[in-house]
Amino acid sequence: MSWLSFAASAGAAVVLATGRVVPALIVMAAGQVLDGLDGGIARVYGLGTPAGARLDTALDRASETLIFLAAGWAGLAPWRIIVLALAAIYLMTSIAERSGLDPGVKRFALYFGLRFPYPLIFTVIFAVNLAAYAIGLLVIDCKFQITMDRLGGDLDTVASRAVALEVRETRKGAR
Amino acid sequence: MTIVTHVLATTLGVQAMELHGSEVALAYAFGIGVDVDHAVKAPFYLKAIGLRDKRGYYWRSSLQEPVALLWILPLCVFLHTLVPLVFFAIHVAMDYSVSFEKMPLYPYSPWVTRGWLLNIPDKVKEVVLAIVLVALNALLFFARR
Repeated sequence: MSWLSFAASAGAAVVLATGRVVPALIVMAAGQVLDGLDGGIARVYGLGTPAGARLDTALDRASETLIFLAAGWAGLAPWRIIVLALAAIYLMTSIAERSGLDPGVKRFALYFGLRFPYPLIFTVIFAVNLAAYAIGLLVIDCKFQITMDRLGGDLDTVASRAVALEVRETRKGAR
Repeated sequence: MTIVTHVLATTLGVQAMELHGSEVALAYAFGIGVDVDHAVKAPFYLKAIGLRDKRGYYWRSSLQEPVALLWILPLCVFLHTLVPLVFFAIHVAMDYSVSFEKMPLYPYSPWVTRGWLLNIPDKVKEVVLAIVLVALNALLFFARR
């Protein structure tokens, strides 16, 4: 299902690259419906696995990359803001699992291009995801602070002790 | 480093680079404002320590670590200015000359480091830097008048 959804997104990218925005958004919507069904089926039938979740995320990012690059190819927005938007999305994704923060402003924002100019849409995507990344880093810091506070200790030694504890717990979880 | 040296260094940078308007705001935001993570950590301090004065609490966050460059660089590209990068780099360089533990790449890496110039006492570094910064600020201010 994830691969079907990706194929639909790839198709949407091809259509978008030719400048046909509305048909591209329709195909993209079909891909997003398939993506949603994929997650729903996994949850209902207990088929979800960490590997499946990682594949889903990787294909989502690949879908966004293709669609955003297609938008650039079609001249819908300057390449600079498209690349920045993609960079912000990748950064946010790199910590989303640990921070629990994903604002969901990616492909979905493109539907608003029917009402607002695409350079503005991509600027919003960049700003929201970059902010989510910076805030996500702070959220992870706060979670780590709880570990440091449990250990007591001072600025001089507590970081290395807390990090050693975190690494041990991560390895235990992986086994 | 303390707020005093950060303010002096940022002001010197603003004068030296002859910044105006929004770039001055960016300089102070990334030269000093990144210390706002102390406010983020304040509830944790209150919960763990209470209202007592405990020196050496870990007030730092990724806002003040090199890992923040991952979002500051794209921001610089977006804003068409290097000011956030320059003043953030100055802030980090100063903090890394103080000998407490730091985690430059957390959460991507558990690497802990104490920074540089560790063979010189922190107080000495702070005082010397403060004197140099005051002198340079005064020099630049009066030279430009």
